[in-house]
Amino acid sequence: MIVGGGISGIQASLDLANSGFKVYLVDKSPAIGGHMAQFDKVFPTNDCSMCIESPKFIECDRHPNIEILTYAEVNRVEGEVGNFKVTLTKKPRYIIENKCRGCGTCMQYCPISIGDTYNENLSSTKAIHIYFSQAVPLLAYIDPGTCLYFRDKKCTICAGVCENKAIDFHQKEENLEIEVGAIILAPGYEVFDPLLRPEYGYGKMKNVVTSLEFERILNADGPYRGEVVRPSDGKHPKKVAWIQCVGSRQVIPGGHSYCSAVCCMYAIKQTILAKEHESNLEATIFHNDVRTYGKEFEQFYRRAKSLPGVRFMRSYVSIGREISGSNNVTVKYSANGSVKEEEFDLVVLSVGLTPPKEREKLAAKFGIDLNAHGFCQSNSFNLMETSRPGIFVSGAFGGPKDIPESVVTGSSGAVLCGEILSGRRGKLAREKEYPPERDISAEEPRVGVFVCHCGTNIGSVIDVPSVAQYASTLENVVHTEEVLFACSADSVKHIAETIREKGLNRVVVAACTPRTHEPLFQDTLREAGINKYVFVMANIREHSSWVHSREKKKATQKANDKIRMSVARAIKLRPLKEIELPVNKKGLVVGGGVAGMTSALNLAKQGFEVHLLEKNKDLGGITRRIHYTLEGKDVQVYLNDLIHSVYINPLIHVYTGSSVIESSGYVGNFATKVMHHGKEKRIQHGTTIVATGAEEHKPDQYLYGKNDNVLTLLELEESIVRGDEKIINSESLAIILCVGSREDNRPYCSRVCCGQAIKSALRLKEINPGMDIYIFYRDIRTYSFKEDYYREATGKGVVFIRYDLDEKPLVEAVKGNNGQILNITVTDPVLEKKVVIEADALALATAVVPSAQSEEISRLFKVPLSQDGFFLEAHMKLRPVDSATEGVFLCGTAHFPKHIDEAAGQAYAAAGRACTILAQNTIKSSGAICEINEVNCSGCGLCIKACQYGAVDLQETPDGRKARVTPAVCQGCGACASVCPTAAISINHFDDSQIMAEIDSAYSPTVKKGQFEPKILAFLCNWCGYAGSDMAGVSRMQYAPNAREIRVMCSSRVHPKFIMEAFLQKIDGILVCGCHLGDCHYMKANEQTDKMVNITKKTLEKIGINPERLRQEYISAAEGAKYAEAVNNFTRYLTKLGPVQINEEQERKLIEYKLKKLQKKK
Amino acid sequence: MVDSVTPLKEAIDAIFESGGKSIELCYQCGLCNTVCPWNLVKDFMVRKVVREARFGVSEIEGEGIWQCAACGNCVARCPRGVKIIDVVVALRKIASEYNILPKTIRVARGSLSGEGNPWGGRREERGNWADGLPVKSFTENTEFLYFPCCTQIYDHRTRKIAVATANILKKAGVDFGIIGPEEVCCGESIRKAGDEDLFKKLAKENIKTFIEKGVRKIIVSSPHCYQVFKNEYPEFMVSFEIIHISQLLIQLVNQGKLKFVKEYGKKVTYHDPCFLGRHNGICDAPREVLSRIPGLDLVEMANSYRDSLCCGGGGARIWMETPKGERFSDLRLGQALEAGASELATFCPYCILNFEDSRLGLEDSNVIEIRDVTEIIQDVI
Repeated sequence: MIVGGGISGIQASLDLANSGFKVYLVDKSPAIGGHMAQFDKVFPTNDCSMCIESPKFIECDRHPNIEILTYAEVNRVEGEVGNFKVTLTKKPRYIIENKCRGCGTCMQYCPISIGDTYNENLSSTKAIHIYFSQAVPLLAYIDPGTCLYFRDKKCTICAGVCENKAIDFHQKEENLEIEVGAIILAPGYEVFDPLLRPEYGYGKMKNVVTSLEFERILNADGPYRGEVVRPSDGKHPKKVAWIQCVGSRQVIPGGHSYCSAVCCMYAIKQTILAKEHESNLEATIFHNDVRTYGKEFEQFYRRAKSLPGVRFMRSYVSIGREISGSNNVTVKYSANGSVKEEEFDLVVLSVGLTPPKEREKLAAKFGIDLNAHGFCQSNSFNLMETSRPGIFVSGAFGGPKDIPESVVTGSSGAVLCGEILSGRRGKLAREKEYPPERDISAEEPRVGVFVCHCGTNIGSVIDVPSVAQYASTLENVVHTEEVLFACSADSVKHIAETIREKGLNRVVVAACTPRTHEPLFQDTLREAGINKYVFVMANIREHSSWVHSREKKKATQKANDKIRMSVARAIKLRPLKEIELPVNKKGLVVGGGVAGMTSALNLAKQGFEVHLLEKNKDLGGITRRIHYTLEGKDVQVYLNDLIHSVYINPLIHVYTGSSVIESSGYVGNFATKVMHHGKEKRIQHGTTIVATGAEEHKPDQYLYGKNDNVLTLLELEESIVRGDEKIINSESLAIILCVGSREDNRPYCSRVCCGQAIKSALRLKEINPGMDIYIFYRDIRTYSFKEDYYREATGKGVVFIRYDLDEKPLVEAVKGNNGQILNITVTDPVLEKKVVIEADALALATAVVPSAQSEEISRLFKVPLSQDGFFLEAHMKLRPVDSATEGVFLCGTAHFPKHIDEAAGQAYAAAGRACTILAQNTIKSSGAICEINEVNCSGCGLCIKACQYGAVDLQETPDGRKARVTPAVCQGCGACASVCPTAAISINHFDDSQIMAEIDSAYSPTVKKGQFEPKILAFLCNWCGYAGSDMAGVSRMQYAPNAREIRVMCSSRVHPKFIMEAFLQKIDGILVCGCHLGDCHYMKANEQTDKMVNITKKTLEKIGINPERLRQEYISAAEGAKYAEAVNNFTRYLTKLGPVQINEEQERKLIEYKLKKLQKKK
Repeated sequence: MVDSVTPLKEAIDAIFESGGKSIELCYQCGLCNTVCPWNLVKDFMVRKVVREARFGVSEIEGEGIWQCAACGNCVARCPRGVKIIDVVVALRKIASEYNILPKTIRVARGSLSGEGNPWGGRREERGNWADGLPVKSFTENTEFLYFPCCTQIYDHRTRKIAVATANILKKAGVDFGIIGPEEVCCGESIRKAGDEDLFKKLAKENIKTFIEKGVRKIIVSSPHCYQVFKNEYPEFMVSFEIIHISQLLIQLVNQGKLKFVKEYGKKVTYHDPCFLGRHNGICDAPREVLSRIPGLDLVEMANSYRDSLCCGGGGARIWMETPKGERFSDLRLGQALEAGASELATFCPYCILNFEDSRLGLEDSNVIEIRDVTEIIQDVI
């Protein structure tokens, strides 16, 4: 059982469910998603948060092994590891769950407005409402505190308007008892309540908001529809201040002494986003230390600093006053020897993270211990282990952490459950049984069309009966039917029966968006015994009834068109096979440090055989040089235990002193050649974990290598442990931080050095309390609970002196009273004077650099490196241990510098992810992937460059070199097909004939008289463009009914010939919408779209067609308004421009260009 | 060219030994600067004072270390737990040892040593304020000792507070007495001035008298007396029950022993003395008392409760001259006028002295009256 449905709980659920366990996902909220669902964008990629999280909601929802229990709370946990009995209470929603379709009609009619908690009460919703548009489960619920029925039993409007009779005012609390083997606690965090510290002015001054409120303000689906305006007057703020450490790093009443670990980054993110909304906005971030210690964080900070109008001010502040009239707020800060008071339009409080308010109760119910800060107490080397065996913690309840770390601990928690329950894997998990598939390849297309009313959502705008009537007239359509709710359980059953009875072999459902409901209907097709790929959804709700509700006739016309397009597409669809490949159930782990060993051991404990490679002659990696942690734990004892456990485990084969020569294959079936003791060995494995570690940088500054008293931080630690008298008897010792980190040639922060330096300083103070210790720093980055050790060190007399990069400490060897000493000179920014420190020894906290072998490993295992030289994950936020190559995972310092407990945590996660593959007997790859016709292939290799995944390679054949695709690797984006000069590549399910059919049928050929109405064809990528158009629908944004949409998986699939064809069809304008650059769901495939559009524009110019008739827009899933505006603008533009005129000459050229490259080949 | 300094170990040790060890905890965030009232009138970098102390390079000859009015704003807000007042006091102790003192402090010190009060009044006259009042001498059987502030004894303006207090207590039937010449100054301010020895001498003398007389409960008018009796005398292993007059008044009102029978139709704002509000958390009792007075319209100033703006009289600054233009009390009166008050009420003789001074500096000194709350109550009972 996973308690808490935020991103961490979701990840844990999916991992466990995918590795053969039955999962109960419990959330006390009405929907899963946690805080992440409230965020606008995520750092440092600025991906839209909802776009990347909501697909996970649907995955959980559709998973046969996950049962989601929302609005439910755990009361009691009895029993012990392996056999827990959990008692829960499900709060009444006053909605019958299996009847509610989430249509939202009830919300429109409910007379009671209440604060919308999803929008942090900045906007209102109704007493009956759906938590947020993308909620899973998509169900309404009634707030009994405000609902009129519960007050005086008079109002029952919602029950009256609900077509499904889903309202039940008499619903009672429900108690459940569930038996589970293990529990993951992922209840998340709460944000600090600034009312606890009245000096921030929050609650008194309207224009002082929390960062979470600002997150909603930024969001396109937020209270102000994505307009950055301030609460007092709805005006755009021009000067905004962010105040850091609100509720964090403070020992005053109401505050918390720990660092909240995420606020620096989210404030920087908000600054960048606010600047994107309003380019001349002036942003000031008032901070003490800036803590950008994660992967790519420092670069993100640099980017923000370089923006015009962005100021980082190193001063905590006090709020002055609210100015009457303007409601502006003054902020007082220290600068250059005086206190300045400055006026801001808006003040954002960067509020910290706190443990849940109910933590005490939670701890009592689950029988776990809390730490001094009220977070879950975890084992010092295993961040997921709580004090009660069988109960694990993941996400921010274990301590403040960001999304990737929450995802990592989610995966890790999952795999630890897997470890203790491995004997029961697969026992409760179920797979759905389907009837055998009917072969339809020889059949004439027999299309069935089901038109959904969606209650009144579609039916009240679109004339559904006439649309159904029209559909029945289309070629190959043999059955048409109207349904009230196509997705309801009885409708789905009825559709399956109809398919069987009428012998349908193509199905079109005209209803809502395929992004949520396609999997359901595809499943229906399988149940009816036909291939799931012969299905099309015509989206007449998000794309028509919801967005053209004031133009009913045009909306109906568009519905007709969309159904015609869908039928045309359906006719061209072919059944596809999902390839099943056997999985080799062995794991390979490269690197025998803490991360590698932890992964290997975990896989072995789950029953998988593991090959563990280590290049050195001993296991242990860099941890051999680390002796204790900041928290005071003995590392060597832990390390030796780990090494011992690895050696005695019969399932782990250790190869020390080995190197990799070659690796080939794909997920589930890799083969790696290894040189071991002079012999070549071939290892076959299903997954690979790369854990090759990192190294300590050897500097060439500060007299290192020239003076014996200058050492690195690791050398200092070794000296301390050795009891080197010269060091421990020093009168004075200095440590310089950021040596080789955070500089132009190595811009990243090495993350561990601040903690490591403080660790050694504390140890030295313990051994020799009289020693003077000075630490020279740029920013102290003791994130999370490490902050307490920073304070402890200062309290024990360690002096911290800050320096700037443009004036590094000056280190000189001089003669002292008792021999040679070091003079270290630096300007103290508060004293505004040079301070000279005399030190007997100097330790340098040098950068953590990628291991020397990483480039080779990168090449061998096809795992790209980041600019910093660390291994690159598939997705910064949601796939932090997956690599771009399926089946290859990353962990430990090979991924980025990290502390031992973090490396181990990530190692569990990597093992967990590997396990989701190793636990399967076979793996399926999608049928919607590319297929290469070798006859047409000229072997030019352009497709290989286009493919972001290395799925295509060249193979020698008797007819010359030919491209070949590895189906298990292909992701189906279609980028290869768009660059293929000979049309040798076809993308299954999105092939040329299918897309051409949609283009050709987009507009009815009957010429309409009257005013000119531009005809627009919009190509929308599945993940952003299409999702953005859905968002416009969900938000009921009204826009011109002039576009006909075609869905492609990636905008890179849009081939110039589609555009030529569209103009041949006399379509007036073509809109191509993809993700923002950098947000592409196929890595960088959408950069190709850019190039395609530019080249095609030039071609159009040559032909004599105005190139402005082709437009490209970047639209994220949250940018519904942007999509609506894009269609409106284009419609206006084209109306002015007039209809496209194609003369014979141009027609000839268009055809020529459409076929050109293919002809060249012939 | 910036000069360079080297940490002075002996100086640092001396500061630590004098009670300034918490400076180690400072992480130089600068918040103290922004809340220090001095920066309302001129630049004064608290953070720099702390940083200089950390390196043992403080300038003890200068004015800097004598600026602090011990309002406690910085201490209350310091996220790191640096006891900045203690740091300042430590520096003053060192200055004191070197005998580098402002002249006014020297004068007050002399008077305290000789006459047991800082104002140059004569010790024998300590009880004179009560002449003609129905005030008895404290005996073992008296319930409360009333301990007025030296200011109330020797200054004619604040003496009215003592008189008002005695009248109210009498009217409410409180059993109280005074000691007179045998008691001395509570020592709060001289301790803040860094003269620890003199403080100890005064404290011991008082404690001895109190014990000899059989004192158990002490009523005080001054928040400074309250602070030192309540929080600092226990260092000598004694424990008296200390009650500030505002706390007693609300009890008497609630018990029905004190009745407000007359209308007081004025707009009054209440000023929280630093040592009553911020240092000791007594903010509600005074307001509750005022709000029970019929007809009284209580308005709040921009800075109120624990966020109150210091009058400038704490930390021994009551003995020092603050040049015109640098007086917080002037700003505070401005706030009172902005709030529309015709009277500023408070519960501290130091505040009263400073505000009366500021009032006289106004163009029209009649626009506002300065009163102790006891003076108002005396009018309505």
